[in-house]
Amino acid sequence: MKFFENVFTYDYSFPAVSLAYFLRYPNPYSRHVLTTDVIDRYVDPKTHRLHTTRLHLKKSKVPSGILKLLPKGIGGSDSSGQSYILETTIVDAKEGWMKTESRNMEWTGILSVIEKQVYQRQPNEGAVGRLEELSLEEKRSEQTTVRTTVTFHSRFGQGKLLGRKKTEHTGDHTGEYEEEAPKRGLFSSLSTAGIQRTIELIGLNRTRDAVVKSKQGMNVVLERLRSGGVVGVLEGMRQDRDAVLGPDGGPWKRVWLGGNGHASLKEDDH
Amino acid sequence: MSASIAPECNSIKEKYDTCFLKWYSEKYLRGNTTSNECDELFSKYKKCLNIVLKEKGIESMLEDARKSMKDSEAE
Repeated sequence: MKFFENVFTYDYSFPAVSLAYFLRYPNPYSRHVLTTDVIDRYVDPKTHRLHTTRLHLKKSKVPSGILKLLPKGIGGSDSSGQSYILETTIVDAKEGWMKTESRNMEWTGILSVIEKQVYQRQPNEGAVGRLEELSLEEKRSEQTTVRTTVTFHSRFGQGKLLGRKKTEHTGDHTGEYEEEAPKRGLFSSLSTAGIQRTIELIGLNRTRDAVVKSKQGMNVVLERLRSGGVVGVLEGMRQDRDAVLGPDGGPWKRVWLGGNGHASLKEDDH
Repeated sequence: MSASIAPECNSIKEKYDTCFLKWYSEKYLRGNTTSNECDELFSKYKKCLNIVLKEKGIESMLEDARKSMKDSEAE
């Protein structure tokens, strides 16, 4: 297993940061996020905490470094270049914190990536702590700290390649591999540990970039929130889209499906 | 607003998202946590979405992910 940890402080109030979190897609740094859906949401009647479960569809190519390590057929031809991410969030507005957890839903045997974040309001000196006084507008001295922890775990070669049951998307190649895995001898099991470490490291390296991008995205949304409120954020999203698509929106679909997951959207895969 | 995985649900999702953002920023974050003003829109949106999740085989994947989430909490 590998771990990544990072602590960062936003110069924005907790309400603003938590709102920006729910509003963060799309932003100019999130071109790889194709869709976002809320699949569950409720306020716990006892704790008054808001629980949310969202499903994101992200564009992600299996890194070529990992691809090379995999048996033929896995992660290769059939890979749609998209992956599902399950995100759960709990907000406690009174106590001023938010906890999030995101995990990949497929290929968890090859590499399971679990990102946890804790957002915490930083009490500013001499401030009135009453909730009614918290506004979405910037309070100069108010800050929110976020601690990000990411865990990488590869069970590659342990015969549980895809975690649990097969899914329709990956079923074709699963059986083949699961039969193969238990037959491995001591020699190959030694190298399996090496492969697992390598896969985890590749994931770790990618995450460093992703964490930076995600902060940049949050900051764009927070800045729009400060200058124009929720309406300002929505207007910003529209402008981003127009800038990419042109006024007629013609190449929308092409960009949507063919982007390379980075900020540059001019590439065309066709 | 972010797009839905199901294009046919985009318009109801946008209505729901708008309602939620208003409620969240104007009520919930200000301490008024008991409200169900977006429930009706949410159930319409979910109804639309669930059909597609089933079709795409995502529903069973969700159950698995939730299970392993509970497992990791227990550890």
